[in-house]
Amino acid sequence: MFVGSAQDGVSVYVYPTDRFKTISLYACWVGELDAASASLTALVAYCLRRGTRQWPTFTTMQAHLEELYGASFRADVGKLGEHQLLSFRLEIPDGRYLPGHPDTLGAGLDFLQAVMQEPNLTAAGHFPDDVIAQEKDILRRQIEGLINDKAQYAMLRCIEAMADGARFGVPRYGRVEDLTAIDEQAVAARWSEGRKRWPLLLFGVGAIDAAGFEAAVRERFQGPQSAAPLRPPTLFAATHDGRLVVDEEDVRQGKLHLGLATGVRLQDADYSALMMYTGVLGGFPHSKLFVNVREKASLAYYAYARVDAALGLMMIGAGIEFSDFRPALDIIRRQLDDMREGRISEEEMAFTLESFTNELKAEDDSPSALIGRELERRLLGGGPTSDELEASLARVTRDDVVRVAGHVNVDLIYFLTAHGEVPAGA
Amino acid sequence: MRETDALIQETLVTEELPSGLRVSVIPRPGQRRTYATFATYYGSIDSHFRLPDSGHTVDVPDGIAHFLEHKLFEKPDGDVMSDFSRLGASTNAYTEYLTTTYLFSTTQHQDQCLQILLDFVQEPYFTAENVEKEKGIIEQEIRMYLDMPGDRLHSNLMRALYVGHPVRLDIAGSVDTIRQITPEELYQCYRTFYHPSNMWVFVDGDVDPDRVIAAVSDNQARRDYKRQPPIPRILPEEPAAINQERIAQRMPVALPMLAIGYKDPVADLRGPALARRELVTDLMWSLAIGRSSPLFFELYEAGLINDRFGAQYEAAPTYAYSVLSGETRDPDALLERIERGLHNVHFDEEALERHKRRNRGQYLALFNNPGQLAYAYNSFHVRRLELFHYLDELDGITLDAIEERFHQHVRADRRALSLIEPEGAER
Repeated sequence: MFVGSAQDGVSVYVYPTDRFKTISLYACWVGELDAASASLTALVAYCLRRGTRQWPTFTTMQAHLEELYGASFRADVGKLGEHQLLSFRLEIPDGRYLPGHPDTLGAGLDFLQAVMQEPNLTAAGHFPDDVIAQEKDILRRQIEGLINDKAQYAMLRCIEAMADGARFGVPRYGRVEDLTAIDEQAVAARWSEGRKRWPLLLFGVGAIDAAGFEAAVRERFQGPQSAAPLRPPTLFAATHDGRLVVDEEDVRQGKLHLGLATGVRLQDADYSALMMYTGVLGGFPHSKLFVNVREKASLAYYAYARVDAALGLMMIGAGIEFSDFRPALDIIRRQLDDMREGRISEEEMAFTLESFTNELKAEDDSPSALIGRELERRLLGGGPTSDELEASLARVTRDDVVRVAGHVNVDLIYFLTAHGEVPAGA
Repeated sequence: MRETDALIQETLVTEELPSGLRVSVIPRPGQRRTYATFATYYGSIDSHFRLPDSGHTVDVPDGIAHFLEHKLFEKPDGDVMSDFSRLGASTNAYTEYLTTTYLFSTTQHQDQCLQILLDFVQEPYFTAENVEKEKGIIEQEIRMYLDMPGDRLHSNLMRALYVGHPVRLDIAGSVDTIRQITPEELYQCYRTFYHPSNMWVFVDGDVDPDRVIAAVSDNQARRDYKRQPPIPRILPEEPAAINQERIAQRMPVALPMLAIGYKDPVADLRGPALARRELVTDLMWSLAIGRSSPLFFELYEAGLINDRFGAQYEAAPTYAYSVLSGETRDPDALLERIERGLHNVHFDEEALERHKRRNRGQYLALFNNPGQLAYAYNSFHVRRLELFHYLDELDGITLDAIEERFHQHVRADRRALSLIEPEGAER
């Protein structure tokens, strides 16, 4: 269990345990996801990983991480609902299992503090010009490179089309056109102004003394001067009436996605019923989508349904032959009809419950899963712990699932296909 | 056999059963998941072999090991995945060059799950009809890989490096080869390679090792297996030279991708010799072009690489190679700078000690994730490496050894390139 507190805009939560060979630290500033500034904020994260006062170059930083027994470090931006997160992840081998038993935790906190609060700035208080130019370039290519992973790309395109300019559709790295326009001084300004506004969350998992850790963090990290309270994101509502959007690229396999509105979010009472819905429909190998699209019809290698708990948005995806667009879509629609009309067996309910229970228990074995769930709860202003979720899933009945199904609506259909392989009627 | 590593505080218990099946357990008190694998020393490169009893030569279509992996999940009364689902466990399998591995991960009913795992892998059910049906699914899987630029990059590099060794072929085979596969061939491969003498079980979890071993032993006792001698595999003579200097392919990617491969000729490289070569080569690349090296920074600053660029060494008894790969805006310039940088490389004593520390930390982190630990154990086992002794020689590795290795391995005549270019790019 996480223990800790939120004070003066700094939240510190620790999960003390002896189960891991490493100590995992995760810190993030919580910014507002906003189209105009998303790429600037991303650039701040990229520039911060380039050097600190103590370790002024990329090379000295990397050498220091090697000294720390190959600690792994990553500065990045993430997205949760309508928040943009500047995140800093550090995983350090636990000194108890190393020759000489060094104190790696203190060294790890020092490193995080240096990265986030003491960047290597010029005398004028800016990030060095060459660092900005290089990181801009890297970030631009990162954004342009999203097309490389076709399944991921298709999903992003589908979400973008569903959002229609709404905040949640802003890609986490922002847009290339905004990036190009960023002037050199804006980056450090964004960092120092953000620190005054952005709530800071810091989590630790591993053999950590909670009280000592919280004190050490509060000593090192100052909170924002005036942090706005974290607001849960707006519930996603369907507006596209099942419209079809098609992209043509030189691909060998089509990616079919359906974006749906569910009307239910993590903090809602029906969330566990929605989870059961998603699990029965497409969470596991026994689920309707896998069984019917893959096993029975042999149309796909994968077919799944997932839910974004922050927005109440559901995504269905499958990789199919271009010419199978209609049959695959028909089968998927039939599964949605079955859900709505309650054609759900006792077995499907029982298997899904067992599978989710297993997944939730297994979170205890993964520092990043533990941190991920706690972070989600803190950001969305509540929601169940994994134990609470496990208990409430067990109480969900088929009627609950059917009730939730009544509010699930297809918003948009997206198909990534090859040139000229556009389904009839599109 | 029971072995404990006092520093990392882990224990490994191993026993070989009369059938030849080897069972290894790492008890992990407090871990919620039990993670178990059942693996066979049979992978995508084993399409040509001799039957161990008669000595007859067998040739089967490429991709058959992977096909077999898919088909083992199907039983007369349905799919075995639902047997695991019923218990809330998750199951999976994967085929690699050397091995095929079946696994489950569960937080409950681990005894039952273990029995299901042992049973389903040891009870094949192939019919003309179910084999035909699977072809559609695997074809979609192959097409999915064909759209993955990273996968193509690697696959093309292997074709460039190797002349005849089957690591040059895609693990899943091709749409054409899998269409030829018959139930008879599947049964023949199954009987040959899925013999317990050619297989092993690995479990990590909050379990009693003796109970796990007893459970596997009881399950084996129900089956009438006599020990089988090793299976001779037929590999073509592979020259030390590469096959082709360069393979380029166009795909819808934003940036070109470059992989530089160095072929490392080996003959029956196993055990401590392999461990040492892996450690030395890994340290050599880290010093030459790792993230804290001057060369890495030079390339990064020039905008030729991003922070995902890296070098990796893969070694097995019959093949070994290094790959340096990443996305780049200018593959020619990147290649030229790397060549120049490697030509002028300076190996530094202090950096070597730092990288040895990093190796220790990374080894330790293996024990943090049940799946990763099982993967590491299996990959070690098939190459006759001892998990708890992998780093034994680390401290003794000198700069001289690194330099010698560099001159032996990083040779222009053993180098091949693979390139993915964006569509419409002018070259």
